[in-house]
Amino acid sequence: MAFVLSKKDLFNWIDDLSSAKDVFGPVLNHRGETIFEKISDSKKLDLNYQSVMTSPRKFVYPSRQNIDQRSLDKAKDRVVFGIHSCDMHAVSVLDRTFLGDHKDAYYAKLREKTATIVLNCNKACKKKYPNYTLKGFCASMGTGPFLKIKKGYDIEITEIGKQLYLIEPNSKKGKELLGKNKKLKTALKKDLSQKSKIERAALKTFTKELDTKGLPKLLADNLAHPVYRETADSRCLGCTNCTMVCPTCFCYSIEDTTLYDLKTSKRDRYWDSCQEINFAKVHDGNFRETREARLRQFVTHKLSNWMEQYDCLGCVGCGRCMTWCPTNIDLTDMAKEVQKVAKKGKRK
Amino acid sequence: MKDTLKNILQPYSVMIESKKDETPEICTFTFSNAGNEKRSLLPGQYNMLGLPGYGEAAISFSSISPDNKSFIHTIRKAGNVTKAICALNVGDKLEIRGPFGNGWPLKKAEGKNAIVVAGGIGMAPLRPVIHALLKNKKKYKKLFLIYGSKEEEIILYKEELEAWANSGDIKVLLSVDKETDSCFLGLCHGLVTTLLDKIDVPLKDSVSYVCGSESMMRFVCKGLIERGQKPKDVYISMERRMKCAVGHCGHCQIGAKFVCKDGPVFAYDEIKKYADHLL
Repeated sequence: MAFVLSKKDLFNWIDDLSSAKDVFGPVLNHRGETIFEKISDSKKLDLNYQSVMTSPRKFVYPSRQNIDQRSLDKAKDRVVFGIHSCDMHAVSVLDRTFLGDHKDAYYAKLREKTATIVLNCNKACKKKYPNYTLKGFCASMGTGPFLKIKKGYDIEITEIGKQLYLIEPNSKKGKELLGKNKKLKTALKKDLSQKSKIERAALKTFTKELDTKGLPKLLADNLAHPVYRETADSRCLGCTNCTMVCPTCFCYSIEDTTLYDLKTSKRDRYWDSCQEINFAKVHDGNFRETREARLRQFVTHKLSNWMEQYDCLGCVGCGRCMTWCPTNIDLTDMAKEVQKVAKKGKRK
Repeated sequence: MKDTLKNILQPYSVMIESKKDETPEICTFTFSNAGNEKRSLLPGQYNMLGLPGYGEAAISFSSISPDNKSFIHTIRKAGNVTKAICALNVGDKLEIRGPFGNGWPLKKAEGKNAIVVAGGIGMAPLRPVIHALLKNKKKYKKLFLIYGSKEEEIILYKEELEAWANSGDIKVLLSVDKETDSCFLGLCHGLVTTLLDKIDVPLKDSVSYVCGSESMMRFVCKGLIERGQKPKDVYISMERRMKCAVGHCGHCQIGAKFVCKDGPVFAYDEIKKYADHLL
């Protein structure tokens, strides 16, 4: 079942939703950047945003989270509106980690309590800001610009014309959110074909690409490729930005804190990073002491080992790691460098 | 999602039943498993031993009682958590999670010779292996324990070693790195690899279980393979930093393997192909 809604009615609907529960969405801040914030007024929404620095993974997997049993009961129902396709795919990738053979109760709870409304992208994100440039390549990774997954989200929204949106609920929760909105008009065949037309046009706007065919094995076979050392030694600062902005990074660390009464303590988990020097340290030694090893871990995990672990790639092509890298280290450049080896090999 | 979803990060309390100081740096604790007998515990698996306010540390079982009523951990004071745990006494409580990990594949050695190679504190995770091997000794051809330590004073479980050696069911070979006058169970001076030549059975008909520091395992595995053992028959227990123990926190990854849930025991050739280890 699909519906059509005008922009005005869409905003009215969001205002209705936000009067009942917490609704988060892309909002333009005073610095001219879009961030996901709680929305009280739909007028503040920025539906034309291209990318946000901190992906909506923070709603299901917060950067710092108390992991005591009682904090499970504190989760409230909420709605996240305007998640881009790549970021929704990223959440489905996180699902494979946290809801796989061992289930994480805290993640499961937030995932259950958070309704997700996806907003498809009408063009590749490559906007230039004074200090950074967006570098999306989701089309190469099969995660965008339009949603490819069939489940795990609640509503899919596509702009199919001026001030006109196609609304496709995909779950019971999604239907409930739409409720008995009288403004909803059933979508016609032409609306759906318009959606495909826009998707085809959007795909043509991509300039950044990565050929992922055979890439996992190629990277696994070339662990000693010099590109890791050259890039790491000349440019990597080990700042961990790439992993903090990555929407699929799942690593965390656990920290106990003694409270002020000096009798009780609390246990938190917080995002950790494989780029941090002590990440792989044990009393016996540090198994990734060099930046080369840590950078290789990032690249090969996202584009190679992830496949073996979860049967999908760990990169959704959002381009954040290279956008927010202070020295512009590009994951795809390193992968392409390794791919050159394969091409050379073939010529011989 | 139902509320009955088990929270794997939620620890439960266990009480210390007894404590023994093995050396000034190493303590052995017996914990009561009362109320949790249904959790099956396997040699090679580990618990996350936690102390609220300090954190958790992954420690392997160093013995499991046959009726699952209690289990033993031998802990070396290495970091904050282990130091704090070793300061506890009988009657104190720990918050633990577990058991986690895959355990030693003991079935693989049935009908073959079983060779246990331990280095230092690596003896602890291998002790339940020897208990299990001796319990079903008829299933195996010949049993070996090769155990290397830095010095004579820190050899663990001395009484038990003597009992094993005297029983004649298992050949016990000991070595110490530091020169010594002692001849405890015929221990010899040198690295643990010097003992590999004393294995008097064909290695291709054997399965090895190795645990120790990673550099020790490197040379033991290479030594065994040079002497004819198949890499797939050499099992090693890896140590990595573990926070969650269920493959979520990512710290323990070696290539595509999570040491915490895919391991900690791996066949040598299964883990060797990845980067960032000493093997």
